[in-house]
Amino acid sequence: MKTSIVVDVAFWLLAVFAVYTGWRVFRTDSMVRASFFLLLSFIAVGVIMLLLSAVYLGVAMFFMMGVEMMVMALFMVMFMMNPAGLNPMMMVHQHRLSIGAGVASFVMLAAMALLAEFPRHPLPNDVQPVAALGNELMGESMLIFESAAVVLLATMIGVVVLSSQRGRFGSAEQGSMPPGLEPGGDPAGMPDEDEQAGGHHHCH
Amino acid sequence: MTLTTVLLLAAALIGIGVYGALSQQSFVMLMMGLELMLNGVMLAAIGFWAMSGAGAPEGQLLTILVMAVMAIEMAMGFALVVAVYRGKQADVTESIADLKG
Amino acid sequence: MALSVMLEQLVWPLAMVFAVLGGGVYLWAVLDGLAARSFGLPQAQSVWLTPLSRGTWLLIQQANSTEAPDLWAWRLAPALYLALAAVGLALVPWSQGWVATDLATSLVLWGSLEALATVVIFLQGWSANSHFALVGAYRYVALGLSYILISMFVLIGVALPAESLALTRIVASQQDVWNLVRQPLGLPLFLMVGLALTFRGPFNLADPRDLAGGTSVEVSGPPRLVWELARSAMLVAFSGIAATVFLGGWLGPWLPGPLWVMLKMLAILALLAWLGRWFAVMTPSRCLSLMWLILLPLAFVDLVWAGVVALL
Repeated sequence: MKTSIVVDVAFWLLAVFAVYTGWRVFRTDSMVRASFFLLLSFIAVGVIMLLLSAVYLGVAMFFMMGVEMMVMALFMVMFMMNPAGLNPMMMVHQHRLSIGAGVASFVMLAAMALLAEFPRHPLPNDVQPVAALGNELMGESMLIFESAAVVLLATMIGVVVLSSQRGRFGSAEQGSMPPGLEPGGDPAGMPDEDEQAGGHHHCH
Repeated sequence: MTLTTVLLLAAALIGIGVYGALSQQSFVMLMMGLELMLNGVMLAAIGFWAMSGAGAPEGQLLTILVMAVMAIEMAMGFALVVAVYRGKQADVTESIADLKG
Repeated sequence: MALSVMLEQLVWPLAMVFAVLGGGVYLWAVLDGLAARSFGLPQAQSVWLTPLSRGTWLLIQQANSTEAPDLWAWRLAPALYLALAAVGLALVPWSQGWVATDLATSLVLWGSLEALATVVIFLQGWSANSHFALVGAYRYVALGLSYILISMFVLIGVALPAESLALTRIVASQQDVWNLVRQPLGLPLFLMVGLALTFRGPFNLADPRDLAGGTSVEVSGPPRLVWELARSAMLVAFSGIAATVFLGGWLGPWLPGPLWVMLKMLAILALLAWLGRWFAVMTPSRCLSLMWLILLPLAFVDLVWAGVVALL
């Protein structure tokens, strides 16, 4: 595939941006920021896909990841500590090992990319990526596509079962106490049982 | 932009993802590491599709399937986080040591 | 030669996009003022002057700050929202060969702009580090995740008869009969998506009065001006897309194509201004019930309808 100088420059800028934002995900102090850095990394990769003339998938990437990272940020604010990034935050374990594993996998994959001989069959000039993908999904690979759909349906059911109000392990509110202020302490922000009962009687 | 450079970028993303998935304590940050790895996988698949596979439609199909896997991973991951949080008030991996030998 | 090609393919379409964006934002503000007056709300001065004086006033005000905001995100969010609106309008085909961005998947790109708008609006509310702004952002995400689905189904419906995801092909497919007639449920549903996308009228969950201004409660001065411009600009871009996919875009007798697109956009903006003032603001819970229990099933019906019509 012969690429023009504009495409090359764009690719390198996007590649640096994707790696930088991907790295910032684990280096920022706020979890909301982390999820949006990840979104930026995905968007950069989506634009590279557009440069590689995968017109549908590149755009679908913006779409999917926009919603997905939004949900992620939502969960961050709901559950996790330090969503606003007002305190320094570095929550890691087995740090050296992880860095080693990350570097090792990069070196291994990079060696494969540099050393292996891949066949060179660039895109034909008359390729229509969107139509080809559509025909593949609705033709030859219909069964694969359908099974992905069934798996997604199973996921939806599983998610509802796991997070619904009445599961097989009792009602959801039963266990939902806020954590204590100190480890093992009383739940924070909950009124005493007696007070609650008193208030209840008062209402009647 | 050659196949090698695209694959190098994919390798870098996968490497950062491996680091994140192994090092982060918080469940959600851990999932971000997984997502970053899948990001690299999708890029590599599209790179092969465009430069090595002569635009065979299966390459795009593979990427669609990886996207579906991402959606499943996210949905199941968050449902599990919710369930674990309700049960144990835990949002970091250290707080659930049931399976520890 | 190269210069004339560049002028024709890049410069003129982009100039057109920015001109329509600017003019559309002003006309929208005027239409909204007229709609307010028609419902008996007193206007301090002529509706033609109000947008200009408000804009000037915001421009010379000081941009205040909160305690420890995420300054990058806070200052960038309005600009990003405006950028999304500009990209959206760049997708609108003005005539057969006159499009700023002619992608094979421009319809999907519009969908992803809607998704990214949710992110940007959340960012605006979250980054201010203020209670009401965060509540507004949260409400908007709940709304956003609902309207994106409705929008998706409605837009798949219009792609069916065209057998294409390109907006030019979708306009061409309406040569005989507009999608407004072919899929009567489509435009009403899509109009509600438009109101939700720019959180206006009944769907104003992000910046409502009961949150003292919601996501923009702490924003003043020039950033506030950009935010209000962006909200209106997004509505203008939305009206362009709606005119393209439901009202036949550039198709029409007598007048040149671009003029038809603009007239149709203006009609949609006027309708939205009136609808936005006609309905009361909904509470978040009722709004979500409406979205998931009524509008989403209706969007399914619309899609099935489109499929059956395409098969017949």
